Amino acid sequence: MEKDNILEVESIHTFIGQFHILEGVSLRVPRGSITVLLGRNGAGKTTTLKSILGLTPPRQGVVRFDGQPIQGKPAYEIAAMGIGYVPEHRAIFRNLTVAENLKIAERKKGDLDRKADFIFSLFPDLKRLYRLPGNHLSGGQQQMLAVARALVADNKLLLIDEPSEGLAPILIEQMMEAIRNLSTTTTVLLVEQNFIMASQLAENYYILDDGKTVHQGRMADLVQDKELIHRMLGTAVRGGGAG
Amino acid sequence: MTGKNFWRDNAALLWVVLILAVLGVAGYLSMGQTAFVRTTLSGLTLGALFFMVAAGLTLIFGLMDVLNFAHGAMFMLGAYLGWQFFTNPTFLFGLMPLILALLAGLLLAPFFGRLFSTLEFSEPLQRSAPALLGLAGAVVIFLSARGLDILELAKTAMVATMTAADPLAEASPQEALSIFWLRPVGMFLAGALLAMATARPGDQSRTFHRDQVRRALIGAAVLLLLTVAATLFREAAPRAVLLWDANLRFFVALLVGALLGAGIGGAIEIMLIRPLYVRPIYQVIVTLGLAYVLREVIQLLWQPLAYQMSRPPLFSQPGQAESILAWFRTNNVTVDVLGVTFPSYRLFIIFLGIVMLVALGLLMNYTRLGMIIRAGVQDRQMVEALGINVQRVFTLVFMLGAGLAALGGIGAAPFIPVQPNMGDAFQLQAFIVVVIGGMGSYSGAAIGALLLGLARAFGDYLALKYNLSPAIAEASTVIIMAIVLLVRPAGLFGRKE
Repeated sequence: MEKDNILEVESIHTFIGQFHILEGVSLRVPRGSITVLLGRNGAGKTTTLKSILGLTPPRQGVVRFDGQPIQGKPAYEIAAMGIGYVPEHRAIFRNLTVAENLKIAERKKGDLDRKADFIFSLFPDLKRLYRLPGNHLSGGQQQMLAVARALVADNKLLLIDEPSEGLAPILIEQMMEAIRNLSTTTTVLLVEQNFIMASQLAENYYILDDGKTVHQGRMADLVQDKELIHRMLGTAVRGGGAG
Repeated sequence: MTGKNFWRDNAALLWVVLILAVLGVAGYLSMGQTAFVRTTLSGLTLGALFFMVAAGLTLIFGLMDVLNFAHGAMFMLGAYLGWQFFTNPTFLFGLMPLILALLAGLLLAPFFGRLFSTLEFSEPLQRSAPALLGLAGAVVIFLSARGLDILELAKTAMVATMTAADPLAEASPQEALSIFWLRPVGMFLAGALLAMATARPGDQSRTFHRDQVRRALIGAAVLLLLTVAATLFREAAPRAVLLWDANLRFFVALLVGALLGAGIGGAIEIMLIRPLYVRPIYQVIVTLGLAYVLREVIQLLWQPLAYQMSRPPLFSQPGQAESILAWFRTNNVTVDVLGVTFPSYRLFIIFLGIVMLVALGLLMNYTRLGMIIRAGVQDRQMVEALGINVQRVFTLVFMLGAGLAALGGIGAAPFIPVQPNMGDAFQLQAFIVVVIGGMGSYSGAAIGALLLGLARAFGDYLALKYNLSPAIAEASTVIIMAIVLLVRPAGLFGRKE
């Protein structure tokens, strides 16, 4: 049973400065699936991803990746175990070229050569932009690059934070297609405000509220429960442009 | 589209080039060729030194947000260490066995960590052990170095070597081996005690891998072998070095100064800066305090005197070379550059600055380390999230910066007095360079250093010509900084946030 979860988070508590941001978040991410974290702004979704990765280490609780406890390890060790991270706000390296943005994510020599075709098949634009500096890319292209960067190394789990944020509808479609494609080879834990996108992609969901996991289940069931969606996600249910 | 981006991306550089060109033409016409060329070359010499200090400062600040107030001290240390190697290496070789032994002991930290994790310790013992072990280590270091003759030798012999006809006479002192060997042994013990202190008995939170322990033991064994070698050759080695060709000795001294500076920089980062990344204000205070401590240590060893390092023969043959090409044959003390008599050694400093700029450019743009540094300047958390040990990159950058500053120091030693506060003025100018160029940009540091160097030189020229206070040269750099900050608050090459 436990073997099938690539990631298990058990009641973690995270502080940022004096603020108690996560007050007991628990979740399980089954191998080879897409799981989505839902919740209002400020519910602690981004902090949950950062806590898993060790960027904001949890003070209490257990994080198990591939069966091993990883909480308290330095972030670079956790990442090197096979976790890719796509931060919010398209945090690519703007002063590096597209090629360098991908190259820097290599963990073994030749990672990029092996993955280049796969990455370009998901995001054909990047091939054309390969030599340009990151700050010459449009917002959508930067977001594609941020996802592509997480694909260079052999990652067993991808943490993707709000990939649709600020994207035009047509780009959201392309991004969804890409995430669906890459979930055939890896596992994805997604944070997404756009409920339509989330509901079409994910098999399982967790809802965070005030730093706690308050609901969980199968996405197929959640879509039926309009009342719960409205109560827990409020404005987020409006839907965004993908529909 | 790319054409438009080119103009936008390089706007700052183009403006600087344009302004310099206009000022250059105006200066050339009003000053006449001789004064103009000489002043420009002086400015370039200063600029090269500013760059070597500022490049490290800007990278260290950009990458790790550390304002390193001990950077000027690195410049000063480089000058002292390189000068020592050049004139009387006895001191460095005499100290080497002690340093190597201490490092060998310190390397044992993972070994003790693993050992302690298998033992049980009572609560009060756990709490007091690190402090007690650390104190014991410090006491043992003190005892091991106490009365060491080369520390005294530095005081008296340094003045002597400058006048002594035979430097070899000064290079052969020293304690008999039968007494001396106790010192490295003591240093090794002290290192081991400090390693135990950092390993924290009873601390179960850190795990030490078996590979780590094996590597530590091998490393310590290698260092111990080197210690033995250094102990046996501590008298023969400096004699051999003094018999080398003086030019060779000079270039090796440049290298030694830079490498020792880098080593000291690395030690500072690991021991003082690293534990304080959670408290950035403390880092500033630590570096500030460290600058004072280092200056006092240097004064203790060499007295608060100013020394002059002699130029190697390559730059000191009497007479004047007709051109730079002719100089390669004649090695004269001055060279004719476009009708101006200019010291050949200062041209070498300009050359050294350019070489360092190119080398740094290659490192930053064509190596993985450079790519990681550039990425880390923008977002070091994301670099870490890619699985890269940013901490290790910090140490490397600190070493690189300290090494460059030390190289600047030893480079400057033959034409500015070697004294304990020689780095202070350069540190101040380097901070201004960093602000002008934009924090974290080495190319910005290069442009800023060029601007400041020229401003100082032309300021001095104007002050002399019109009987103004020489303070206008110093004020000019601050004025440039104010103007740049008004136009571009993030500096010429700073990122806009």
